[in-house]
Amino acid sequence: MAKYKADKVTMQVIRYALEAVADDMGYALQRMGRSTIVKEIMDFNCAVLGPEGNILSQAHLCPLMMFSLPRTCHNMVKHYHMDSWHEGDVVVTNDPYLGGQHLPDVQFFSPIIFDNELVGFAANICHQLDMGGSVPGGVAGGLTEIYQEGLRIPFVKLYHKGEENEEIFSLIGNNIRIPEKTLADFRAQAATTLGGVSRIKKIISKYSPGVFQECINMLMSYSEKRIRQFIKDLPDGKYTGVDWIDDDGYIDEPVKLQVNIHIQDDSMVVDFRGSSPQTQGNINCPWSCSEGAAFYTIIGMVDPYMPINSGCFLPIEVRPEEGLITCPRLPGAVTARSQTMTKIVEAMLKAMAPIIPDQVVAGSHGQACTSSFTGIHPETGKRFTYIEIQGGGCGARPDKDGADGQDLHLGRFMNTPVEAAELEYPVTIERYEFIPDSGGAGKWRGGLSLRRDIRFHTDVTFARYSDRRKFAPQGLFGGKEGSTANMALNPGTDRVQVPKSKGVSEIKAGDLLSICLPGSGGYGPPWERDPERVRWDVINGKISLQSAKEDYLVSLNSDLSVNETETKALRAEKGKG
Amino acid sequence: MRIGIDVGGTFTDIILMDNRGKFYYVKTPTTHNDLAEGVLNGIADILQISDQSLQATDSIIHGTTIGTNAIVEGKGAKVGLITTKGFEDVLEIRRVARPKDAAYDFEIDNPPPLVPRYLRKGVTERINSKGEIVVPLDEDSVRNAVDFFKGLRVEAITISLLFSFLNPRHERKVAEICQKIYPEAKISISSEICPEFREYERTCTTVMNSYLGPVIAEYMNNLINRLNATYNKVELHIMQSNGGSMTVEMAETHAANLINSGPAAGAMATAFIAELVGSKLAVGADMGGTTFDISIIDGGVPRSTTWGGVTDYPIKIPMIDMRTIGAGGGSIAWVDELDVLNVGPQSAGSEPGPACYGKQGDLPTVTDANLVLKRVNPDFFNEGKQRLYSKKAYEATKVHIADKMGLSVEEAALGIIKIVNANMAKGISASSVERGYDLREFILVTLGGACNLHAAEIAMELHISKVIVPPMCGVLSAVGLLVADIQHDHVTTVSKREQDLQPHELLSKFQELEDIGIQQLKKEGVKREDIAVEWSSDLRYDGQSWELNIPIPAVSNVDLLDIDDIRSNFHKAHQKAYSYSNPDEMLEFVNLRVRVKGKTPQVKLPCYPDTPTPLNKAEKERRAIWLETGLTEVPVYDRTLLGPKTALYGPCLIEERVSTTFIPQGCSCLVDKYMNLVITIEDLEK
Repeated sequence: MAKYKADKVTMQVIRYALEAVADDMGYALQRMGRSTIVKEIMDFNCAVLGPEGNILSQAHLCPLMMFSLPRTCHNMVKHYHMDSWHEGDVVVTNDPYLGGQHLPDVQFFSPIIFDNELVGFAANICHQLDMGGSVPGGVAGGLTEIYQEGLRIPFVKLYHKGEENEEIFSLIGNNIRIPEKTLADFRAQAATTLGGVSRIKKIISKYSPGVFQECINMLMSYSEKRIRQFIKDLPDGKYTGVDWIDDDGYIDEPVKLQVNIHIQDDSMVVDFRGSSPQTQGNINCPWSCSEGAAFYTIIGMVDPYMPINSGCFLPIEVRPEEGLITCPRLPGAVTARSQTMTKIVEAMLKAMAPIIPDQVVAGSHGQACTSSFTGIHPETGKRFTYIEIQGGGCGARPDKDGADGQDLHLGRFMNTPVEAAELEYPVTIERYEFIPDSGGAGKWRGGLSLRRDIRFHTDVTFARYSDRRKFAPQGLFGGKEGSTANMALNPGTDRVQVPKSKGVSEIKAGDLLSICLPGSGGYGPPWERDPERVRWDVINGKISLQSAKEDYLVSLNSDLSVNETETKALRAEKGKG
Repeated sequence: MRIGIDVGGTFTDIILMDNRGKFYYVKTPTTHNDLAEGVLNGIADILQISDQSLQATDSIIHGTTIGTNAIVEGKGAKVGLITTKGFEDVLEIRRVARPKDAAYDFEIDNPPPLVPRYLRKGVTERINSKGEIVVPLDEDSVRNAVDFFKGLRVEAITISLLFSFLNPRHERKVAEICQKIYPEAKISISSEICPEFREYERTCTTVMNSYLGPVIAEYMNNLINRLNATYNKVELHIMQSNGGSMTVEMAETHAANLINSGPAAGAMATAFIAELVGSKLAVGADMGGTTFDISIIDGGVPRSTTWGGVTDYPIKIPMIDMRTIGAGGGSIAWVDELDVLNVGPQSAGSEPGPACYGKQGDLPTVTDANLVLKRVNPDFFNEGKQRLYSKKAYEATKVHIADKMGLSVEEAALGIIKIVNANMAKGISASSVERGYDLREFILVTLGGACNLHAAEIAMELHISKVIVPPMCGVLSAVGLLVADIQHDHVTTVSKREQDLQPHELLSKFQELEDIGIQQLKKEGVKREDIAVEWSSDLRYDGQSWELNIPIPAVSNVDLLDIDDIRSNFHKAHQKAYSYSNPDEMLEFVNLRVRVKGKTPQVKLPCYPDTPTPLNKAEKERRAIWLETGLTEVPVYDRTLLGPKTALYGPCLIEERVSTTFIPQGCSCLVDKYMNLVITIEDLEK
């Protein structure tokens, strides 16, 4: 007698169990990690996949990577013969043209075999420290072919029946800069997927494969219905949003990103017609990244806590158009694709704002400022690569301010603690703080951005990509734009230089690099902001007195109390308009 | 004589163990306006019941949620924070990540910083990552900051400078200046409260100490004064989150240690019961009205963590690793727009309470579901003090769940129980499996009256084969207070690779910490012969950031310090936690920790001779209750009549004053000599 039946209650129970497996895989990976990007920044994600690559559950981690695992897995099961899967196998790939992100993001898949049948995969994807290529650290803007960007690994069985393939490990080791850390992190990724497999098998065995499968189908259809219901409530029509990327890192010209959302009944089509063609510089956004950005935005608008599985994607068709920046062809370079992904989110929010003003947010910092610094540590004589991913301002919301200094849309990153960086690398961080007035003024203020100043004690190669120096984060419904980004080497001295937002250059021992991130847009007219909030922001140095007066039309007395009369007079003018 | 006082949200539990080891306990209502009032009432009651009087040598151990409450309600002290110039915003920037589990949520925010920007002042100074002073402290900048704080009458000052855990000189100098200019402010120094790397976590922990210090001090002073006025001098100890207690004087300067003081007592009680029944591995499950607290007992002691926290504020000091999830008797069941059933995290609490309380609440809760299924007795709930209205429970479940889902009311109620059990099982699984434990080796110990209706079914879900329902289950947390040692944790960061760390250096650092700890305990009145010492080190593979804590035997001679043994224990622990280890890799010693304990007199539960009760004697009634298989008539036993060695078989119910235990089909139950109900799940597929 079957102990459990496939009903809505069992479905919920299985959902919780699968989410726990994915989350626990992420936890284990972080704790085992060697490189800062794994152990502090947490640039990775984990999922449980069905036999064709459908997402059954995913960890509550970096959504940016969400869509690579299913897309790549889907291609992988077509690549291998059904009979070639064994207990303990682990397949690795990082190819953006097989469904990956950029080359540092390496994906691991381990088959779940139950009663001699392939029932799914435990998988993770993780940003590795260095995957070779022409520039250390793997985050250089400005490259023009994927071959320069690093080692591109096709589907390769790195473990066969639980045994490491030493030849492949050494092949990879020979082509990357800091193999001892990266290969240790590879092993951690593999251990994590294998651990996930045994957990999932226990769940299947408990509920029986039939009940498990039926509940999975119910879960998928549940998520699908949730999305359909959301779309059905939206007015039919075509909605377009546009955002711009400063440049592609190779040619200094703005690059256009356009999203067109077509809503009909309970289905949605998203296309990118009107966007720039594939660029020479490496801001091209591989297809799974573009899809992922679109799905992220929609889930965020529907219900961030719904079960996130492949059922969510059924009502939405995201149309690739090969040759556009959102679906590049080989050998398009892709390292800085997150500049484009974040713009997809911004453009979609902009497109949707007129029809669902209460479910969108104003423009966030909308870029990913990622830097790597590589050099020889003067004390150990060993090569190091120090990676930084920075947060910025988050867009203001319909009923509250944007978050000051937070990670980006699509991310769930952590910063590198000042002390962690200095203990490991020959640098001194001299300042890490909010930038006043960087949040766009509004009834609800945009979040402030961050500044981090790093002094180097040895020569380093500085590879990076970032954006938003020309096109500021948008305000919504009368809210103002946020501040733009900038970066300076040795600011305030006669040796000051402004490094390009995307590229590779050298930093000398003794130099100071100051990184200022973009702020974010405000929501609603600033003169509707409660003067008390304006006062509190001034007291806390988040906005200047000048901004209080000029942007918010609030006059403060010398003791920083609100001058009601003057404020009323200042604001009266606006009321008439 | 020892008295334990556990102040909970609804009741204050008082337990007394006299010098012959006999227990007495009472529950009095918690007096929210003046918590000390309830405590004093309780003490008066228990002294009367036990016919005892307080002597100077008797000790009172107090568990309190006052710290946690102050944080939740935002009612801590006004704090000024002094940081290294240029890093004033670290407290508010946090780690830039959105809240956990909120990767898709545009709306949710982290909790606000406990010190707003205008009360955070930078001072000019810098220490580098080797602990060397590279920019000397500008004392004028300190004086300016303190003058400013004084002008605004902050109640407490936190000092948290970069790399102070390697070199505390600047922090100490700043403290000296604060003391001189503004002696009224309580000062917390990060190199004393949390001498570990990662500036955000260290600062937040130290700020928490400042934020709670004045609140705790005020409460404690009030309580002590009133106790002294009534009973002359008494010795009062406070339960800490690490499972030990400390004196009141110590509590005022280490307020951050009091977070989760109440649940920590529960974990200690779980460990005590596990020990009693001869099990080294146990899960403690405490189900209240709103929350479900989980602790893991390994090797007879509660597992601890240095990555705990409270409401999303990290607290980086060793504390019992508790996981709290939103599931309790008051958790509200609801159906979403696609007719899928969910339970919690919203709770009806005790006000308005479950629908069956007949107050304002009309939403169905877990308690209502149990009532619909007839698993609880409406006339005998909470000693009969809370009358339950079956009709209201039935109505609420019908209207809000059954009708929407197209189920019978009983099916809906069974669904509610299954979902809440699955939630609790998920919580237990996350606390244990992610840390490398195999739950099949564990027993489940229940605390709090509500858990006993669910425990056996949760155990089945997790493949745990044995559940212990202890006696005095309504006040068992308070037993944890009686067994707690006086305990302090001391830590120093070494951050050295194994090859760079000489054994004699390791030994001398441990001994230094040990000396500090022993001196502290002596100051608190503990005799040397009652002091026990435990050493451990946080280790990791070279290059990792996250450590595993490995116990190290305390030795007095460098020849006895077995580094190879430490190494091999680390590899084993890493293998267990992450299914991966590599004995060829280099280790790094990150922190050395010394725990000193002032041993308390041993506590023993009374032991009774075997007196199996004939079941017909203990049977109160036969009641038709709802099981998965339908309406079934089952016996209901009176727990007070069940003697040791009595064996029972599920399905049945066992009722007592404050709790009902449900024994499902396929489970048996044996009463042991301590009057524990030992439930065995018979047909577990392993």
